[in-house]
Amino acid sequence: MRMYQFVIRRLFLLIPVLIGVSIIVFALTRFTGDPGAAYINPKMSESQIQQVYAKYHFDQPAINQYWYWLNGLFQGDWGWSTSADQPVTKAIGEKFAATFELAAVSMVIAIIVGIALGTTAAVKRNKPFDHVTRVVSLIGVSLPIFVLGLLLLYVFSFNLGWFPDGGRYSNTYIFEAGGVPRMTGFVLIDSLLVGNYGLFSNAVWHMVLPAIALAFASIAIITRIMRNSMLEVLGLDFVKTARAKGVPESAVIRRHARKNALIPTTTVIGLVFGGMLGGAVLTESIFRWNGLGRWSAQAVMGQDIASIMGFVLLTAIIYVIVNLIVDVLYAYLDPRVRLE
Amino acid sequence: MQSQKSFADSLMAELRPRLREARKSWDLIRTNYTAMAGLFMVVFMVAVALLAPVLAPPTPFTDPLEIPRDWRFANPIPPGAEGHVFGTGTNGLDMFYGVIWGARTTLVSSLFVVLVSAIIGLAIGAVAGFYGGWIDEALMRITDVFLSLPALILAMAITSVLTRSLNNIMLALIIVWWPGYARLMRGQVLIIRESIYVEAARSIGARTSRILFRHIVPNSLSPLVVNVTLDLGAVALTMAGLSFIGFGVPSGFAEWGRMVSDGQLWMPPIMVIYNGVEYNAWWTWAIPGLFILIFTMGFSLLGDGLRDILDPRTRR
Repeated sequence: MRMYQFVIRRLFLLIPVLIGVSIIVFALTRFTGDPGAAYINPKMSESQIQQVYAKYHFDQPAINQYWYWLNGLFQGDWGWSTSADQPVTKAIGEKFAATFELAAVSMVIAIIVGIALGTTAAVKRNKPFDHVTRVVSLIGVSLPIFVLGLLLLYVFSFNLGWFPDGGRYSNTYIFEAGGVPRMTGFVLIDSLLVGNYGLFSNAVWHMVLPAIALAFASIAIITRIMRNSMLEVLGLDFVKTARAKGVPESAVIRRHARKNALIPTTTVIGLVFGGMLGGAVLTESIFRWNGLGRWSAQAVMGQDIASIMGFVLLTAIIYVIVNLIVDVLYAYLDPRVRLE
Repeated sequence: MQSQKSFADSLMAELRPRLREARKSWDLIRTNYTAMAGLFMVVFMVAVALLAPVLAPPTPFTDPLEIPRDWRFANPIPPGAEGHVFGTGTNGLDMFYGVIWGARTTLVSSLFVVLVSAIIGLAIGAVAGFYGGWIDEALMRITDVFLSLPALILAMAITSVLTRSLNNIMLALIIVWWPGYARLMRGQVLIIRESIYVEAARSIGARTSRILFRHIVPNSLSPLVVNVTLDLGAVALTMAGLSFIGFGVPSGFAEWGRMVSDGQLWMPPIMVIYNGVEYNAWWTWAIPGLFILIFTMGFSLLGDGLRDILDPRTRR
């Protein structure tokens, strides 16, 4: 199978999954007492409320209702978020960048640190470094992310005072001349675009603890996979050949072994990313990070169904797309996958 | 008499190889120190859960999962003070009582979630793998849908439309967890279906149900056992996360995630004063957090150990 055929095939397989997810979310919205409540905001007049009920046909059979609901989604009508006091799509638009920025930084940290630790642990198999790495990664997968977050805050913010106790940047920047720039929504990028290096370093400083909290579990998973696949590759013939023909050991590890060991590691990246989306809900709540996760946690407290379902739908779409990219990447790196 | 004796004999003949295998497994666990560490943590947690009424006797005629309060103290008091081994939380919640009975809450509910999901997944996966065709295709597309959402977020979506209770959290987690087992079981069945002993059973005319329940299911159980063990920790972690956000049990219920969430209020810079001394009330969130860590770590270590032990490659 050629690469583009593989991609097209995978894209087709997405359709039933997305339909399935939409059916689940739709069914959940109909579980609540009044599905219309998700669309009504306090500023609506009586006639506008009537329009909502007319538009979504809550009196018709479920299959028709599903159709109207789906139409609403495509028109950008995802309901009214009472916890953000604005339409759900608008709230998502405002908060997406904050979450994406945090998740992207954590992902980069997790991949770099995970691969480095996994490679070194495999090379130093059964040496102290390997044992320590194993214990750390065990803690990584066992410690709840919210306890880790509180622990980081307690030690590095309150006791040592090295890092701030939450937020994306210090409030002083809001009142500064020019305020906080909002172009892409990513503070790290926007601050550089306007040349506000003070804000940039402040934002980095604020990001350290939440990014570590979010990345920790992923580091643990990537380290484990990397170590195992590294050990497998190190036992293969081509590595022995490389050594036999006198390639220096560091080059054997970097060029021959690690490159091939990376292939299986890419497969877990999708999984790790899903864990991060879930972890963002907890991390953002603890570090007062004004993103999608904190918003959805607030929606939970306020029984704000429209926001929760909007968040679920969005994460499903992101997660599915990320997994698609990972699959394609995997097929690109390992041609054997495409052959079947 | 005669028939009884032969029954006993045949029972022993049936049991002997199993006992031999069990002893071998035990020897493998005993020499695997990480699995042993995991086993110790698991045994500790199970013991705490079982002995909860002895370790922390509940007040008669009240719900034992309701943490008793020492109403004299609105603010937390440190561990050891006034007979509270692990101190107290908001409004005098006894932390020791909470973590002890929390072990019972977590163990019982995660066992329930994992076992029910495993049974559902086993049935669906076995059917899909054994019959194949459109049944397989349809069932696997359904599992695809459920697996296309991160566990915590799907559970959040389900619990958000239900009333807040531990039972509904468990229901949501079962809905989240069964597809993984269905996938695993299907994969196992597909491999075993082609094996020589199944071929042999088929050739002597064994019925489908016999092949399925006598050959395929028992032989595909070992990876299932490993996953059940690992998932007990993972389910406990997700459940704690859900109660931390605020789904499920109310404040004052013996559940670790909820206790951490309540204890979070007392993070510095808020300080509490007891007997004229100022404290950071770390015990309100760190102690229940530590219990979650031990619980999850125990099952995770034991599961990894079991994987090595049940793997025929390391076994022989």
